[in-house]
Amino acid sequence: MERAVPVWVLAAVTLLVLMALPLGWLGWVSVSSEQGATLAHYAAVFQDPHLQKALWNTVVMAFWVGLASLAVGAPMAWLTARTDLPGKAVIRGLIMASFVTPPFLGAFAWVMLAGPNAGLLNKLYRGLTGSPEPLVNIFSMPGLIFVVAIYTFPYVYIMMVNTLALIASDLEEAASILGAGRLRVAVTVTLPLVAPAILSGFILAVLQALALFGSPAILALPAGFHTITTQIWAFFHYPPKVEMAAAFSIPLLLATALLLQLQKRLLGRRGYASIGGKGGQRRNIPLGRGRYLALAGCLAVLACAIFLPYSMLAKAALARSWAQPLTWDNLTASNITFTFFEYSATKAAILNTLELGVLTATVGAGLAALLAYVANRRLILGHQVLAFLALAPVVIPGVVLAVGLFIAYTRPPFLLYGTLWILFLAYVTKEMPVGYSQADATFKGVHAELEDAGRILGAGRLRVLGEITAPLARSGIIATWCFIFIGVIRELSASIILFTPDTKVMSVVIFDLKEEGQFGAIAVLGLFMLVMTFATVILMQRVLGRDFMGVRE
Amino acid sequence: MPGVLLKALTKRYGEDVAAVQHLTLEVKPRELVALLGPSGCGKTTTLRLVAGFLKPDAGEIWVGDHCLSSPTTVVPPERRRMAMIFQSYALWPHMTVAQNVAYGLRFKSALSREDRERRVREMLGVVQLGGFESRYPGELSGGQQQRVAVARALVVEPEILLLDEPLSNLDANLREEMRFEIRRLHERFGITTLYVTHDQAEAMVISDRIAVLERGRVVQVGTAQELFEQPRTRFVAAFIGRTNLVHATAAGPDTIAQGDVRLRVAASNLKPGAAVAVSIRPHAIRLRDVARPAGESGANLVRGRIERAAYLGDAVDYEVGVTGSDVRLRVSALPGLSFRPGDVVGLEIPVAACVPLADSPD
Repeated sequence: MERAVPVWVLAAVTLLVLMALPLGWLGWVSVSSEQGATLAHYAAVFQDPHLQKALWNTVVMAFWVGLASLAVGAPMAWLTARTDLPGKAVIRGLIMASFVTPPFLGAFAWVMLAGPNAGLLNKLYRGLTGSPEPLVNIFSMPGLIFVVAIYTFPYVYIMMVNTLALIASDLEEAASILGAGRLRVAVTVTLPLVAPAILSGFILAVLQALALFGSPAILALPAGFHTITTQIWAFFHYPPKVEMAAAFSIPLLLATALLLQLQKRLLGRRGYASIGGKGGQRRNIPLGRGRYLALAGCLAVLACAIFLPYSMLAKAALARSWAQPLTWDNLTASNITFTFFEYSATKAAILNTLELGVLTATVGAGLAALLAYVANRRLILGHQVLAFLALAPVVIPGVVLAVGLFIAYTRPPFLLYGTLWILFLAYVTKEMPVGYSQADATFKGVHAELEDAGRILGAGRLRVLGEITAPLARSGIIATWCFIFIGVIRELSASIILFTPDTKVMSVVIFDLKEEGQFGAIAVLGLFMLVMTFATVILMQRVLGRDFMGVRE
Repeated sequence: MPGVLLKALTKRYGEDVAAVQHLTLEVKPRELVALLGPSGCGKTTTLRLVAGFLKPDAGEIWVGDHCLSSPTTVVPPERRRMAMIFQSYALWPHMTVAQNVAYGLRFKSALSREDRERRVREMLGVVQLGGFESRYPGELSGGQQQRVAVARALVVEPEILLLDEPLSNLDANLREEMRFEIRRLHERFGITTLYVTHDQAEAMVISDRIAVLERGRVVQVGTAQELFEQPRTRFVAAFIGRTNLVHATAAGPDTIAQGDVRLRVAASNLKPGAAVAVSIRPHAIRLRDVARPAGESGANLVRGRIERAAYLGDAVDYEVGVTGSDVRLRVSALPGLSFRPGDVVGLEIPVAACVPLADSPD
């Protein structure tokens, strides 16, 4: 056999262990007690009316988030892909910004904007109308749905816009020439073509909402209700009920797996959306005067997702009191000095985050690249399983993964709880699907014949990998690194369960600051996180030469 | 310069899909053999077996007196002293033309740097790309990329050259030009060559001999003329040029019958009563005015009625129903004589043009 084979096999085994250990323990603990196998935990979980309520709340929230994301994301995708809407590039850029904004930061900003008492919008409303009642209360189910949806609709948007970009106008014009009117064309041709994308965008949005921890923790808990993720987190409060958390995780895991399977089937059966994608021209539909109305609509959505929350964070970062107008008296740098120099947890958390970000991105991108290479070039037996394994964590919500990791690594042989390593494992596992898909696309773009050509002229397998494959895949792998890095620095739902006082990361510190009511410091740290994120995004786009949301003609 | 011998090669994908079955073929030293067949016939698999990218499930590959591939050992591609030209050209986009061409020379340690550069320059001159050394592949036209790929393969002076549908990405005019170009280079360097294509005209222009592949097997090997004039099976007859297939019954050792029509054929060993398929090329049939008496040509003479006629410029294409049978023949005639649909004509079919095929009709 070739000399390189052990390298391939090692990568595959690492992946297997990474996936199997936490999930295996999760399943085992959920059905075991000191007396042996039992279903008692499940019985306990599902008979408790509070927990039933949390389940139901999650279903309601996720469903409405899905619908709202669809209602906002689909029209915006059509407008930017197929019409003469003005300022498309800016809108696309802002949607991307919404996509990379950590949802919990948005939630914090909206607490300051629309909290029932001090919220700025409510104060404004009371000032204008003299009414004693607030206009909106963000601490409510509709408030939660709203805040989650404004950061989830980009998933629908991306699915749709990439599909629309592949449908050549010819397909629609073929219907027009046969006598179909504009509406009829839309209903009989365009809509069926994008229907799979719409449905799978909806499912993606629902999945995001299901797995989210930060926003419900910030908005639902003060409103007095739980979702599955916050409930699982609560199980870890003293005294921890790990077996209950495990049992409660399984339905979330199953629901996610089921939904993803559904999405895959939808996309797989209707892969025809890409037919005619090659060379077909796309002509923009003129909107006439309606284009300004459409623009206003898009900007309104983006105001909720970007303009308002970002300004709010900026104001809170610079103000002595965020609820007061920003006058000279109210202006201060003390939040900044407090956050970076006085608050003891911050410096360590920033260092931890950076360390974990760089380490996870480097190891993750390397492992993903190896695995994708092995799978694409079919280097070992069972290479088909690799893609499945690497993509499997998609179905594992962060909180659930954390429960599994907690169980797996608080006992021999791997005692990692309390170290950064357990967070590292959580992040590598959680980011593997993103990393793998990126790396996979990269190697699919490097034609195997380019390597064969090197082999037949006298270069060995590893030499070809170094001299031909690596230079060609470089930008794709750097982009993979950036994707993982962005994912890691914003990670909250797994970190919140796995951190210990010595291993706090930035997102956890932000969450802690909420307990202390330090909104100024939250804003400073949040903005710092956003700056890091956007710097990485810009680096990535430089390297890729395009924006990362997907194909653009 | 060694030849290549493929001995009973078999390659399976999965349990029962055999891409190549018991394939035997010899390429003599300095010979250019084309592997011709429709897509999925196993020709590219065969080429990749020869290159060492795939391991055979059975059989052996010999180059000269070395066995390079067998089910137990495969000499890796980099040690086979071969070169290959790929369908996609496989030029490395991150290297200049000169770097691409020089790549294979790196592994020839006996060469000095000056020698390498000189050989790259010379070879680029041979493919008419002098002065393009510092361009990147992305800056070249399809035809120029093709030439770079050729130069990169030839500059290493390989013992064996493999080509995998190298012209299929070029437009029609360029493709014809490159056919002659490749033939010219073969005559100049005389490298033993295996050439995969699905285009019969390309195979006929370029190769010394053609091996026709069908479902992973070689069904016939021969020069273009042999394959055209004496196809052994229906597949070969239909794949190389247009033909008429007449399904009939043997009436004697050298005669077949279909309805009232009898034809003498180019065989003397038919079993009377057996089903026979006969190939008759459209251009081999001559049409005559029925009023004029037949000459003493010794050819088969039958009557028929013109059913369709199509004027093609350099020829007229007729479809003729043969009287007294349900045989329909396509006839390619010079445009001088013109018949109309409905005309009754005489058909003169030389015995040598009626070629019985080995495989019995379904």
